[in-house]
Amino acid sequence: MMLNRALRKTLASQQTRSILRQTGLRPVRLIAPSFSTAAQTSSSSLAPPRASSASESTPFVSTPSRKYEYFTNVELTPSGVAVIKFDNPNKKVNTLSFSVMREARTLWDELASDPALKSVVFTSTKDCFIAGADIFDISSVKNKEELVPVIEEALMFFLKMKERGVPMVAAIHGPALGGGLEWALWCDYRICTDSPSTKLGLPEVKLGLLPGFGGTQNLTSLVGVQKAMDMMLTGKDVRHDKAKKIGLVDLVVAPQSLESVAIATAEGLVNGTIKKKQPKKSFMDKMIEDTPPGQYLMWKKIQEMVDKNTGGNYPAPYAIIDCVKYGLSHSSGLDKYKHEREQFAKLAATKESEALIGIFDAMTQQKKNPSKVDPLPVRKVAVMGAGLMGAGIAQVTAEKGYEVLLKDRDDAACGRGITYMTENWEKKLKRKRMTKHQFDINTSRVIPLADGTSSVKRHFASADLVIEAVFENLELKRQIIQQVEEMTPDHCVFATNTSAIPIASIAAPGPEVKRPQNIVGMHYFSPVPSMPLLEIIPHEGTSDEALATAFAVGTKQGKTCIVVKDVPGFYVNRCLGPILVEVSALVKEGVPLETLDKAMKKFGMPVGPITLIDEVGVDVASKVSTFLASADLGKRMGGGDLSLMTNMVEKGWTGRKSKQGFFTYSGKKDKKIGPQVTAYLKEFTGGKVSNMSEVDIQDRIATRLVNEAAKCLEDEIIENPVAGDIGLVFGIGFAPFKGGPFRYLDAVGVGQYVDRMNGFADTLGEQFEPCQLLKDYAASGKKFHG
Amino acid sequence: MLSRLLPKPRLLSTAAASRNVVVVDGIRLPFALTSTIYTDQLAVDLQRLAFTGLIAKTGLDKRDVDYLIAGTVIQEVRTSNLAREAAIGAGFPASIGGHTVAMACISSSVAITSAAEKIQSGHASAIIAGGAETFSDVPIRLTRPIRQKLITLPKALKKGGPLGAIRHMTKGLKMKDVALETPAIANYTTGEVMGVSSDRLSAKFGVSREEQDAFTVRSHTLAGKAHKDGWYNGEIVPYKGSTEENGIKADSTIESVSKLKPAFVKPHGTHTAANSSFLTDGASASLIMSEERALELGFKPLAYLRDWSFKACDPFEELLLGPTYCSQQVLSRNNLNLQSDIGVFEIHEAFAGQILSNITAMKSQKFADEKFNGKVVGEVDVDKMNTKGGSLALGHPFGATGSRLITTAARRLQDEGERFALIAACADGGLGHACILERYD
Repeated sequence: MMLNRALRKTLASQQTRSILRQTGLRPVRLIAPSFSTAAQTSSSSLAPPRASSASESTPFVSTPSRKYEYFTNVELTPSGVAVIKFDNPNKKVNTLSFSVMREARTLWDELASDPALKSVVFTSTKDCFIAGADIFDISSVKNKEELVPVIEEALMFFLKMKERGVPMVAAIHGPALGGGLEWALWCDYRICTDSPSTKLGLPEVKLGLLPGFGGTQNLTSLVGVQKAMDMMLTGKDVRHDKAKKIGLVDLVVAPQSLESVAIATAEGLVNGTIKKKQPKKSFMDKMIEDTPPGQYLMWKKIQEMVDKNTGGNYPAPYAIIDCVKYGLSHSSGLDKYKHEREQFAKLAATKESEALIGIFDAMTQQKKNPSKVDPLPVRKVAVMGAGLMGAGIAQVTAEKGYEVLLKDRDDAACGRGITYMTENWEKKLKRKRMTKHQFDINTSRVIPLADGTSSVKRHFASADLVIEAVFENLELKRQIIQQVEEMTPDHCVFATNTSAIPIASIAAPGPEVKRPQNIVGMHYFSPVPSMPLLEIIPHEGTSDEALATAFAVGTKQGKTCIVVKDVPGFYVNRCLGPILVEVSALVKEGVPLETLDKAMKKFGMPVGPITLIDEVGVDVASKVSTFLASADLGKRMGGGDLSLMTNMVEKGWTGRKSKQGFFTYSGKKDKKIGPQVTAYLKEFTGGKVSNMSEVDIQDRIATRLVNEAAKCLEDEIIENPVAGDIGLVFGIGFAPFKGGPFRYLDAVGVGQYVDRMNGFADTLGEQFEPCQLLKDYAASGKKFHG
Repeated sequence: MLSRLLPKPRLLSTAAASRNVVVVDGIRLPFALTSTIYTDQLAVDLQRLAFTGLIAKTGLDKRDVDYLIAGTVIQEVRTSNLAREAAIGAGFPASIGGHTVAMACISSSVAITSAAEKIQSGHASAIIAGGAETFSDVPIRLTRPIRQKLITLPKALKKGGPLGAIRHMTKGLKMKDVALETPAIANYTTGEVMGVSSDRLSAKFGVSREEQDAFTVRSHTLAGKAHKDGWYNGEIVPYKGSTEENGIKADSTIESVSKLKPAFVKPHGTHTAANSSFLTDGASASLIMSEERALELGFKPLAYLRDWSFKACDPFEELLLGPTYCSQQVLSRNNLNLQSDIGVFEIHEAFAGQILSNITAMKSQKFADEKFNGKVVGEVDVDKMNTKGGSLALGHPFGATGSRLITTAARRLQDEGERFALIAACADGGLGHACILERYD
């Protein structure tokens, strides 16, 4: 029970999806491409690191065989083609940092003076062109105004290269993102490989920034406003086929022939045998982009889309629009670039960008395995239970290359699980997010096993990790452990996916449980494929290996993992409890339902709390709150009247699933408050009507959430504020542009927040009393981050 | 232990002396009427599902497989090597090879015996052999004249421009060329539709319409019962959670099937839509190993694969009489007596008339005099034959049936405690197949 499927489902479907839409964040994609360098450089502290890792270890010394740190020695072919290769010696990927740009200028000065130089090819020694600009550079500059001259210098460098008048060819294999793509955009000709790892994009918007190296201008003039806007506002990357189609690249080749073709092309551009083809605009695009009425409609549409997706909470998309518009009206001259970098610096100084970069940083940090020991090698993962949860877990596991056993009672149950996965994969197949081969391989990796299948033991004998996703019943879970322990090898880790049962009870040694050290909690959020968070809960006796293994598998499954103490509700659900109570209190005081929802949406939650309860099911929300009320939260679950929901459950008003919760649902979208609910609320409130201010509503709900998060930190339920931020942003959709509860506290000021809470506590009761940690921070003026 | 008590096998052919080949296990996807549940699957998908189904059923590690062989009849040009593509899609290591065989309705039979031969010769120890067929997506082609014109079209276009191309396409084209060709279930050499051949065969052996209809009802009844009893649990791997085979009409009665009109030879023919096997989609796979490898991997095999025959006969005269010739060959070669030694029969039911004709031929002294120097093959005890239903009810995906027969026969041996099983099947081209299994203890 507890925060069951439905609740999590809604959180996912409504909240996260909407957060992701707003921020343009796609959990999986964000982890993967853009600034993946952060993964390599970041240590576990949040302190903005300086420059490159090389300078931290041994400073670079120029030698004849290696003149530059970030580039291999330039080769000049007999026909005058200079091949310049990016090669960051210390990382798997190349990034653009201040130091790279500095060195590039020196390199160019040396090269440009050579009269033999006829043309240039930019390429990379790695399976990565340039993965983006180094965000640590941006973070390390305290006064963001200082970024303006730095960017200007870079821009001057690009212009200087252009002025030399030799054709420049970008030969791209692997990611060319952010600053990397911008570099390629300054070239005259772009060639990319047909490798699946080749992707081109400007993801700056995801970090609340914009492409500052002329990207907003150069991309627009290359592919047209609509396509450029699509790329820049969503931050999504394009693959080789689409890049060719929209004119972002001129040629697609096999990786093996990239360099030779690039050199030949450079030669051809010099002697005139190759001419760059101007991409043709379709008639429709011409009408839209090049006629005043078309433009009017286009911008109106873009504006509407951005308004809808950002809720006005994210400034970056607006700045991007502004830059593009400015560029169109100031097409000649360098003003447009100046405008762009000024906008960039402005964005870099916003709280939103800081918050988004904070989330990004946190995600990268959370990839680091907290355990002291290495995880066990895992090849085969068994999932017990093929319901929505189990099937979701099986799906993300199989996608990452593990062999998966999907075990359930009978063929029909297994079949439903398989169908769930297959349908999800078919959708990806249709959207070309997956090839038919990947689809086949994924489906083939999952082996459905019904009870009584003769081979169950044989299969389980080679399982390295078992994840249980059966009903929330302690006896059942322990029975399953007993079954599994009999069949699996001694090293096999057993992860239990529970949201209500203490892991310690599940793992209590006894006749059923012989290997408690192998047991760990893995609390997934439903629907698993789209929810980015995973809580990992060791109990007292969990071994380091088991914890490390769960963490490693969870991370590989594409989840951001936080390690949480074994307490009721763990972290995320625990923080939800006080909100549910406070909602009942506010309703009781006569705050209209719509007002409640509206206020919290404005605060930055993807949906209001009333809608949320309806979506997850009133019965579920009721169970969660009752469970936590009887748990160890004490006064922090006080102050409300949970009969609000229990009464509704008795009436059979269980939310959207029964077409009747707080709202009455008809059709797919229609919802309204029916007369029976009005009557019920009148009875519940005793006819009270409150016209509480929006801010009060927001603060009353938010303070209880934030206080609970802080209390979790105080009680060491979460390890640090980073985990706390990530948990609530990814778990319940806490406004991403606020960066999570702790960043929010830092921004508002803990002292001020504590005062606000004390004010509530005086008038409303002790449930608002700030926890000790908050009081301490308020007293000392300390911040949670940096 | 039990094996010690039993008399030593008194076989066996010299050919099979080298290494003992065993059937470890086998499965099939539910066989289904064409254009029902598998409409969105290609044959390669079905084969892939059968391969993974076998892995699921047995718990075999994919890395322990040495080779894969698949049988199929109606080919999808993109997947002419079905086994290879299915194996890759099923996640077998790329280093494990595979090939595809075509031998009409006994394609997976020859896949299995090819596997056995590879094992006997020491070229492999563990092979997955099976087959797949779909009629839901048969290649429908343009007529040959149009195809030829299209192939040479680029040349004509280059030479004569658009006008020349039009002239090229239309010149000498007849109305009847503007049509589509669908594959027919007919023999290439004789041009004769299978049902017509079988109808003639039945007439020759005096198999009446009534006998055929009764046999058809028997097949459906037994298949229905086997499903209902759960006998096929484990042999059929679920597709979308279900193991139902939708061609089985367990409630068939003589009255209902005798109402149908002849389907091939009209008006006096005896073959109808009911007493002929229907177009079926499906796939199957068997795990074939050397005995020692099976034991090494901890498997208990179902049966020894003792001997087989692929004797053929005249497609003009007796297209579907192969089972008689092949049975005669394997039995006599191994000195086995049909009545006293064989306890399990699995004989393919392409048409009720065809299987009854074969049974008649086998026991016919006259036929024996003509063909086998007077020695009759023997009288098949029908009560031991196809007791879990046959192709008439379960369906007949051409490429997959052979493996189904082996698996069912091997499981029946275990189930019924019989010692030897005779498997026989007919195939287009006058081909036949028979095979002897011995129970593994």
